[in-house]
Parts: sequence; C-alpha cells; structure tokens
Amino acid sequence: MNNPHVHLLLNHVPTIGTVIAFGLLILSFIRRDEGLKRVSLEVFFVIAVLTLPAYITGVGTEFTFETNDSISKELMARHHDAALIASVFMLLTGITSWLALWQWRRLARFRTGSLACVVLLSAITLALMGRAANMGGEIRHPEILDPNVPAAVVSPAWLSASAIKALVSGATWVWPTSEALHFIGLWLLFGILLIANLRLMGLMRGIPFSAVHRLLPWAVLGLVLNTVTGMGWVLAAANQYVENYSFFWKIGLLLLAQLNLLYITVFEGPWKVGANVDSPILQRTFAVTAVGLWIGVMYFGRMLPFLGNAF
Amino acid sequence: MDFILRLEQSGFASWVREGGTLWSYPAILFCHTIGLATLSGLNAGIDLRLLGFARRIPLAPLRTLFPLMWFAFAITAASGSALLIADMSARLHSPIFYVKLAFVALALVTMQLIKRTVFNRKDIDDSALPSQARLLAVMSIFFWIAATTAGRLMAYLGPVSGLD
Repeated sequence: MNNPHVHLLLNHVPTIGTVIAFGLLILSFIRRDEGLKRVSLEVFFVIAVLTLPAYITGVGTEFTFETNDSISKELMARHHDAALIASVFMLLTGITSWLALWQWRRLARFRTGSLACVVLLSAITLALMGRAANMGGEIRHPEILDPNVPAAVVSPAWLSASAIKALVSGATWVWPTSEALHFIGLWLLFGILLIANLRLMGLMRGIPFSAVHRLLPWAVLGLVLNTVTGMGWVLAAANQYVENYSFFWKIGLLLLAQLNLLYITVFEGPWKVGANVDSPILQRTFAVTAVGLWIGVMYFGRMLPFLGNAF
Repeated sequence: MDFILRLEQSGFASWVREGGTLWSYPAILFCHTIGLATLSGLNAGIDLRLLGFARRIPLAPLRTLFPLMWFAFAITAASGSALLIADMSARLHSPIFYVKLAFVALALVTMQLIKRTVFNRKDIDDSALPSQARLLAVMSIFFWIAATTAGRLMAYLGPVSGLD
C-alpha cells in the first residue's frame, strides 16, 4: 500500500458520496421525511471527513510521481488545483451540515435557512468534485483529451496549490502564525470535548449533557482552524508528511475521533443524559475512547519529527 | 551563569536532550502539549460559560475542573522545566521566553481570580454573575492565546535551540 493505492481507493468517496448524500437530501424534501434529512446531513459530514485523507493521499501521489516522466505534471497540477477548490467547498458543506445537525438536536426541527445553505454548498461541491474527478481521470487517460479544446482555467490564481505553497513556505510570518493558530485550535477543541466527555464519564453530574452540547461549535471552530492550518503545511512541505508514518496514524485516529464528535452531537444517547443522571456503560466507554483518540491525535502530531521525517 | 552551564551539562539535561529514545525529549514534549491543551482548553470552556454561552450549564459542578486544571499545570510546569534545563542558556537569553512566562503567570492569576470571585460563592447558581466575571473571562482567554503564541514563537525568535 502506498499513496497512489490509497488515493485510488478513496478518490471516489468525495464524488460518489456527494451524489448519494445530495440525492438523499432532495428525496427527503420530496417525502417530507425528517429522519432522511438527518441521514443525508450525517452522510455529508462523513464524506467531508473522508475527503481529508483523499486529498492528502492525492498530494502524496503527486509527490510520488514528481520524478516520473511518463506522467504529465501539467495534468496532475490541474487536477490538484481542481481538487483543492472542491475540497474547500466540501469542508464548507461538512461544517454547514454539522451546524444544521447541531441545531436540529437543540430545536428538535431543522431550520430552513441551514438546509438551504447545505443544498447550495453541496450542489457547488458536487459540480467541483465532478470536475476534479474528471481531471484526475485524464491523468491516466490523456487519449480522451480533446486537443481542440483549450485547457480550462481551473481556479482563481490565489487559490491554486502552487500559490498556497508559495504563501506558506515563502512569507516568513505565515508558518509561525499557523503554528500559533494550530495550538490555540488544539486546546479549544480538546478542552471543550474534554468537558463534554468528562460529563459522559460521570464527572460534573449536576450538568445535563444538553447544556454542554451548547459549547460544541467552539470545538468545531478549533477543528476547522487546525484542518486549514494543517493542510497549509501539507501543501507547502508535502515531503514531510505524505510518507510520514506518524502522520498516517494521526490522520487515522483523527477520522475516528471526528466520528465520535458526530455521535455526541446528534445521537439520542448522550443528549438524554440529564442532570444527576449517570450515562450507561457504553457511553462511558465511548467517552474514554474519544479522549484517548484525541490524545492519540496529539501524540502522533507531536511525534511527526521523531517517529517520522518532519522538520 | 556557571550554575546554568552546570545544570545544562548535568546527566539529566543531556539525557533529555540526547537520550535518543522516544522516552526522553519526545515524551517530555508530548507531556507539555497534553498539559497545556488540558489547562488552556478547560479554562476556555469556563471562560465561554462566563461570557454567556451555554448559560444552562450550572456553575457549581464546574468547580470539579479546578483541581484538574492545577494537575494539568503541574504536568506542564514539570515537563516545561525539564525542557528548559535541557536548553537553558539559549532559553534564558531569549526575551520571548520571559514574555511567555509572564503571560502564563497572568493567566494563572486570572484563573485564581475567577475561582475566588465566581466559584467560591455560596449561592453560586442562585444569584447573578458578579460584574467582573465577563472581564475576567476575556482576560483569561486573551492571556492563554498570548501565552500559546509566545510559546510557539520561541522556535523563531531569539537564539534557536541546539536540539535535533
């Protein structure tokens, strides 16, 4: 297994996943089915989470073939730029879906405005992902390219992979600033989720879980800060991350930890843990596991230079 | 100065620095990260509550977090001291290191002030928040952000550590 293998496995998830989730969401409007709306937003969140490794392995694939002359650098760069802008919109779709689910849990109904945002963003994501996937296919099938059609402009110049790479590694202030933001995001995310999970473990029993639930968007803010700054580094210094065994584990544990975040956001179990009520053993186990996973994410992040080859 | 050099050349300091195992420098650095994440993160949760988010969280149960935050501080301070000894002359010549220490001290004082003015009241959940609560919460968040930023900048400003 190497980056190209994993990328070929994962690269269908953002495209086909968005098609399915989008279809489910439209169907839920036709059927006026609240449960189906919830499912489609959950699928959007999971697809957004899985887009991260799809993107990272893509960067790894480009890195692997950097010195391989039989593959067009130009086509790879075009695919990368298209995938970058599509991933940005996928991230926005994921955040909006999460917020809509969080609101639904609190209000027991969906807000029309939030659903409209998800529809709009996911439609844009769908189009952009389809284009990125198409350009990815052309890398190995240049014979299907029409020579009479000029190469399309993929994204605004400032949002191209090379522009971001130049910004992050070029301007001296960007890397230290992203590090400070990454650490602030780290404690915001960890602290809020620690309070939530400690409550589920049985500490602070006087607090109903639904009250702690109100703070979860702050944890997501930390997560978004860290995803954005982290991806900036992957773009700027791919060689330090994409073949780094510690980074592989960090991202793997991160995926599981994010699923736990979805669980405590929408599922019935944690929500029903009222004041002075003990949560069942399964939830306590989940809570301990979640804290362990986030600690693991930090461990393998810290070990990037020691277990792996970063810096 | 002589004392600093002797400390820096001590067996413990060279083990931290050059131990070459995951249990020396990397593990201590990791303890520092976990400690600061817990300390600043739990503080941030309390601050956000005092700022008016999640008003439905009763304050009394949050008292449980204070011993936990002091425990996290102990881990951060112990690991931080080990990292300091390993690289003492560079750190002590770096102004940003003192800036960081000052912000940590201010943040800890603010945390204790929050404990005293907000959490040490008998009728904690039956009366309105004291008027200073919001200001203290803003100060707390600001000091932790400043301490974190200064800590990160230590790798960029002043003499760079000889580690690695």
